Amino acid sequence: MSGVWIYADKYEQVFELLTAGRGLADSLGTKLTALVSGDNDTAQDLIARGADEVLLFPPLAEDQPVQDYVPLMADEAREADPDIFLIAASLKGKEMGARIAARLDTALCSECITMNIDDKGKLQMERLMYGGSAIQTVSINSRPQMATIPPRAYEPAQVIDSRQGSVRTLKKPEPSGMKVIDRKGKAQSSGDISAARVIVCAGRGLEKQEDLDLVRELAGVLGAEVACTRPISEEKHWMTEESCIGLSAKEVKPALYLGIGVSGQIQHLVGIREAGIICAVNSDENAPIFESADYGITGDLYKIVPALIEEFKK
Amino acid sequence: MPNIVCCFKWVVDEAYIKPSSSGKIDLEWAEYKLSDYDRNAIEEAVRLQEIYGGGVTAVTVASSDATKGIKDALSRGPEKAYFINDDQFENLEPSQTSAILAQVIADQIDYDVIICGEGSSDMYSQQVGPRLAEKLGIPCIAFVNQLSIEDKQIIAERKTDEGMEVISAPMPVLVTVLPDINNPRVPGLKDTLAASKKPVINIELEDLASEYKRLLIDKGLKAASIERNCTHFGAGPEDIKAFVEAIRKTGVIDRG
Amino acid sequence: MNFKLTEEQELIRDNMREFARTYVDPVAVEIDENSRYPEEVIKKLAEGGWMGMPFPAEYGGAGVDYLTYAIAVEELSRSCAATGFTMSVHTGLACGPIALYGNDDQKKKYLTPMAKGEHLGAFALTEPGAGTDVGAATSTAVLDGDEYVLNGVKTFTSNGPVANTYVTFAWTDKNDKRNGMSAFIVPRETPGLSVGEHFMKMGIRASQTSEIIFKDCRIPKENLLGKVGDGMKIAMNCFDHGRIGIAAQAVGIAQAALDESISYSKQRIQFGKPISKNQAIQWMIADMYTDITAGRFLYYYAASLKDQGLPFSKEAAMAKVFCAEMCSKHASKAVQIHGGYGYCKGQKVERLMRDAKITEIYEGTSEAQRMVIAGNVLR
Repeated sequence: MSGVWIYADKYEQVFELLTAGRGLADSLGTKLTALVSGDNDTAQDLIARGADEVLLFPPLAEDQPVQDYVPLMADEAREADPDIFLIAASLKGKEMGARIAARLDTALCSECITMNIDDKGKLQMERLMYGGSAIQTVSINSRPQMATIPPRAYEPAQVIDSRQGSVRTLKKPEPSGMKVIDRKGKAQSSGDISAARVIVCAGRGLEKQEDLDLVRELAGVLGAEVACTRPISEEKHWMTEESCIGLSAKEVKPALYLGIGVSGQIQHLVGIREAGIICAVNSDENAPIFESADYGITGDLYKIVPALIEEFKK
Repeated sequence: MPNIVCCFKWVVDEAYIKPSSSGKIDLEWAEYKLSDYDRNAIEEAVRLQEIYGGGVTAVTVASSDATKGIKDALSRGPEKAYFINDDQFENLEPSQTSAILAQVIADQIDYDVIICGEGSSDMYSQQVGPRLAEKLGIPCIAFVNQLSIEDKQIIAERKTDEGMEVISAPMPVLVTVLPDINNPRVPGLKDTLAASKKPVINIELEDLASEYKRLLIDKGLKAASIERNCTHFGAGPEDIKAFVEAIRKTGVIDRG
Repeated sequence: MNFKLTEEQELIRDNMREFARTYVDPVAVEIDENSRYPEEVIKKLAEGGWMGMPFPAEYGGAGVDYLTYAIAVEELSRSCAATGFTMSVHTGLACGPIALYGNDDQKKKYLTPMAKGEHLGAFALTEPGAGTDVGAATSTAVLDGDEYVLNGVKTFTSNGPVANTYVTFAWTDKNDKRNGMSAFIVPRETPGLSVGEHFMKMGIRASQTSEIIFKDCRIPKENLLGKVGDGMKIAMNCFDHGRIGIAAQAVGIAQAALDESISYSKQRIQFGKPISKNQAIQWMIADMYTDITAGRFLYYYAASLKDQGLPFSKEAAMAKVFCAEMCSKHASKAVQIHGGYGYCKGQKVERLMRDAKITEIYEGTSEAQRMVIAGNVLR
C-alpha cells in the first residue's frame, strides 16, 4: 500500500497541508488522503483543493476532546499503510502526532521546516534544535514516515474545478474517559512583556502620545503585547517602566518582535537579542535597528502601520 | 495519596552551542543542565505531593556519566530516582526514550500521575510524554498550565490554539506541563547536600528487555545562521504585502 | 593534580548562580542606588542555608568545606558584590572566630542562630586611629566582678548597623602589645553599645557600614572569646580566612565585568562591525579571562590548603592581593570597552568599577598583603 496522509485540527492548516501533501503525492506518484472532521461539503471542498480521498470523522460529543480520534486514526493508518503521514503542528496536532506515531511504532519529525524526497523515494527533513541555534537533518526508517508541519509553512491549496475523489465516513470514536469540562477563549492580554510571544515596540519615531493607539491597534491584530524604548517611558512618560525593553529595563524573548519607529540604540538591542524574529519599521534606512533585524521596512510609519494592520487582518 | 513520577532529561546547555568555522556544531566545551521544562515537571510533582501527600519518584534515561543530573533532580525534591543509563543513551530519539521509560515504569514503579516537561530544551520534539502515555495505555493531557486532583480524578487546564480546555481524566494519567505552570524553587544548600544521600536505582541496558532500535535517523547537524541579515522592504503596497507574508511564513503569528 | 570540582561543588555553584539571578539581580541596581540593606535577600539566603555554610550541622551550619563556601561567595558577588560581602563578613569574620575559638556554650548561644542566618554578625576591629596597624587600637576591656566593661570606638564596621552579634577586640592589658588584646562577643542589645551613622560609600553601597561605640558596655565574663590575650591571634587568623572570601568576591566582580564586556562588545557596532572584532578589544577580553582564571585558582588553592588543615596564610594573602588588583584593573577595562555608556548610571560596569576598588582596601590593604607574603618568603 502507499499514499500520503494529512490531518489538521484547524481548517486553515488543512489547506496548507493539502499543498504540502499534494506535492509529495505527485512526486511519489501516489494518492493524497485527507482526514478531517466535517460533512460531505467539507469533503468535496478538500477534493477540489487536491485530496484524492477524504476520511470524514463524525462529530464528537460536546465533552469529548479531539484527541479521542487518536485510536481511530492509528487503526486506519495501520490498515492503509501510507508512506507519509503529515499532521499540522498545532498544540493538539503535536500531541496527537506523537501518540499516533507511538501506536504505529514509527518515528516522527517534530515541526519539520523543510521536506524533500530523495532519489530512493524517502523523505529528508530538517528541523531546529538547541533553541533554534542548530538545524538537524533526519529521515525515517519505519512506516509511515511522519512529520508535524508548522503553520504557514505552505500556501493554502486553491480550488481546482473538476477534481474527483472518494469520501468515506469513519465510525464514531469511543469516549476515552477524558472529558472536556470547560473551554475558554484566549486569555486577555496580560500586559506582561517578558512572557509575551509577540511584541510590538513603540520608539521615538512616534510624534505624540495619541499615536500609541496606532501601535496598540497593530498589537491587537497580532495578539501582541505593547512595549516601548527607554525614551518613551523615561523621558516622555507615555508608558510605564514595566513596558520598557532594554538594559536596566526588561530583556525579552518573544518569537516575534516588531519595532515601530525604534532606531535601535545598543541598550535597547541588548534587550531584544533573544527574540526569534526581529522586524522593524523606521524612516531612516541607516538606523542601527536594521543591522539587528531579520525584516525591515524603510518608510513613514504613519503610512506603513495602517497598511500593516489591514494586511495582517487578512 | 498519589504516587507521582516525574521524568527529566540531562541536556546540553544551548548557551554553549557555537558554530565552528566549518558551520558544524562544536559540543566539545558544552556544559550540561537539567532541561528547562523538566524543572517545571519536577516542581509540579513536588507541589502536588505537598498538597495531596504521596511520593515523588524522578526517572531519567541518560548517558552513564549523567550522575550530576541525578543529584540536580533530587535536590529539587523527589525522594528517589531511577537512573536508566548506558553509554549509548546520549542521543536517543523520542521513540526509544519513551519505550525505555515505559518498560521501566510499567515493571518497577507504582504510579498515579506521571509528569513530563512539554519538551526537552535540546531536541524540543515534544513527543516523549504523549508516546509514553500510549506505551503505558493511559490517558495523556499535554500542554497543561494548571493541575489539581479531585475525587481521584485529575483536573488539568491545558493550552490549545483556541484558548484553554479544562480536562478531567481518571488516574493513572500522564500530563506534560508548560513553563508557566509554576516557578521552580531554587534548591538550597541543604537540598543539594541531601540529594547525594537519596536512593538511586541504577538500571543498565542489560536489565532492559529489548534493544530499542533507532527509527528517526540522524543525517547531520549544522549551525543555524545567527547573524541576522536584514531583508529590506520599501513602503509600497506590494512591499507591505511581501513583508507581512515573510513574517507569516516564519510561523510565529498565532491565528484562530 | 586534578583541577575539577566535585559534582556537588558544581551543583552548589550553579544553585547559587540561579539564586543570585532570581533574587539578587532584580534588586542589585536599586540597593546600590539607595545604599539599602537587602533584608529580604539575606532572609532568602538564610532559608537556603547559605549563611552558615562551613560550620558543623550541630551548630546550624551546612558542614561544607571552605572552598565550596568561597565559590558561593564568588557567584553571589557576580550579581552583587555588596550582598556577597555581607555574607562573607558574616561567615568569615563573625561566625568564623566563634566557630574556631568559641566554647560549646558560646557556639550554642551565638554561632547557632548566626549560622542559621537568624542573626547577622559583624566584626568590629578597626578604630579611627587603627587600621592596618591593629596594635594602635585604644579600646579597653576591664574586668569588674563577673563582667568586662568595654570602652572604645570602632569604625568601618561592616554589617555594623544591621548586625545582631558583634565580635570585637579590646586591650585587657595595654602594656602587653603582643598578648594584651582580647576578643569578645557582644550582643547588640547590650546597654552601652550604640551604632553610629551608616557611612555613604563609593561602592558596595548596599553593604552597611558604621561606627560601633562602646561606652561602659558591660558584658558577662563568659563572652570572652578564647583566652585572655588571644585577641591579636584571633584577629590575624580571621583575616587569613576572611581574605579567601574577599579574593572570591573580587573574582566574582571581575567575572561580571567580563560577562558584561563580552555581551556588549558583540552587540556594539562601530565602523560597520561589532567592536569584538577589533584586536584591541579582543586583547582586553583575553587578559581578563586569563587573570580571572589565575585568580580563581589562587583562591581555590588557598581554600583547599585550609580545608586540608595546612598553613594557608601566605596563599590567602597572595589570592587576595592578586584577585583584588586584577579585579580593579579589569572592572576599569570593562568600563573602557563600554565607552561613554559604561560611564553612566544604569550600566552594570559602572557599579562594578566602584565595587572593585574596595577589594584592594578592606580586610588588609594590598600593601598589607604584600607584607604578609614578603614576611613569609624572606624569613
